[in-house]
Amino acid sequence: MAREALLISTLVELADNLVDNFDVIDVLTVLSDRCVEAIDVDAAGVMLASPGGELQFVASSSESMRVLELFQIQADEGPCVDCFKDGKAIINQALNAPDTQWPRFTPRAIAQGFRSVHCLPLRLRGRTIGALNLFRTEQGPLDADDVIVAQGLADVATIAILQHRTSLDARLLNDQLSNALNSRIIIEQAKGKVSQLTGCDMDQAFGRLRTHARNHNLGLTDVARSVVDGTLDASRLDQLTKSKKS
Amino acid sequence: MWSSLDDSRVLTVATDRLIAILTLLRQHKRAGHERGRLCAVAAEVTGQSGAGIALASECGEFTSMCTSNKVAQRLMELEITVGEGPCVDASRFSGAIEEVELASSSSSRWLAYSPAAEAAGARAVFGFPLCIGAICLGALSLYRDRPGPLTEAQASDAYLMASVAARAVLSMQAGAPRDMIGDELEREGTFDFAVHQAAGMVSVQGSMSVGDALVAVRAHAFANDCTSSALSVRIVARELCLDPETHEWRDAGVRDE
Repeated sequence: MAREALLISTLVELADNLVDNFDVIDVLTVLSDRCVEAIDVDAAGVMLASPGGELQFVASSSESMRVLELFQIQADEGPCVDCFKDGKAIINQALNAPDTQWPRFTPRAIAQGFRSVHCLPLRLRGRTIGALNLFRTEQGPLDADDVIVAQGLADVATIAILQHRTSLDARLLNDQLSNALNSRIIIEQAKGKVSQLTGCDMDQAFGRLRTHARNHNLGLTDVARSVVDGTLDASRLDQLTKSKKS
Repeated sequence: MWSSLDDSRVLTVATDRLIAILTLLRQHKRAGHERGRLCAVAAEVTGQSGAGIALASECGEFTSMCTSNKVAQRLMELEITVGEGPCVDASRFSGAIEEVELASSSSSRWLAYSPAAEAAGARAVFGFPLCIGAICLGALSLYRDRPGPLTEAQASDAYLMASVAARAVLSMQAGAPRDMIGDELEREGTFDFAVHQAAGMVSVQGSMSVGDALVAVRAHAFANDCTSSALSVRIVARELCLDPETHEWRDAGVRDE
């Protein structure tokens, strides 16, 4: 495999063989750097939630201690905290003194020369695991295209982190998926048989399979499989739900 | 971790490519084009004529998850029908497959697939397995209406896209109830199970196993140059059926003249 292809697959599969968290920090640092190079921001950093729900600074584009402090004090207060709590992006938040919204954070950010701050949630399937924090020294809003790129970057970070956490689940999920596909196929085939034998439509056929399964305390897929392999007569499925005797 | 400037530069390029893919996926979603977007983005990012994603079900059989256009759909159904092609091979050998010149007479790799694929409009096809490490879910296929190989950049993008697609599919399945295809996966895929309903019906009509009926439906579609899904729609609508005595296909329109 070409070297570049190898490194590309390494990037995406980085969590599969991670030995320690250092690699995740490295990649998040590289991603933060790319943010600063690719879009019109002057500093970028990633905060992640600990198992206890507190935000912790993980990586940033700058090693300036003053800038690091800006990320670190956001454990209690700041755009990252708000963004993480609500799971919603904070875009083009101008930093104006005096500011009661973030009384500790804002003056420090302004002292560092920043004029606006943006925060994108690290989200996947409804879970917010942290935030990507961006600072600008320029006045004015961030370009719409830059916001899209930044969100794409946040998505990369989220996938990289969640891959690390769920790499062991991939095999389980794959088994679940192929089982789900198999079940669906068998059920659709059974519907066809029932429909042909009884003249009912597909929805009714499904209803009969389900009713029969419930009455006999069987799995729907098991009933469908029996219909498909002929051990259960598709024209003799229960049509009425049996009432449970008390 | 990155011992040389070269490595970090390559990582930078790789990150750019990944960002490009994820940005495109997001844009499709924003524009309301969720269904089939994995395939649409695969074709777009690799610069090919079309793309398809197949997921493996049991016994090495495939189910089409999505295709980016009619030709890609035809190619996907063709592969599933004849059991030959880029997805089948990429999945079986867990490696990338390329056939850069379908029309070439020296290409004896796929005796049934190649001429039919060419007739459908493809001149070159490529397959990439959908894998996460050693776990493979299926394959991504690409086609082009002109012959020739992928450029190195396009091949890199295809590898990356296959990787992203594998993860996307699994993450869309996560959290689904047992034995059910995840809601998000159903919404984003263009799964078509009509061929299985049709196989169930035909198995009764022809007094044959459902497996044989499935082969019969697909073979009839192939022989008549139409898609399995189009044929199945007619069977399910009771317009077409298999005659129980002659085992020949006939129109079954019930009309009182």
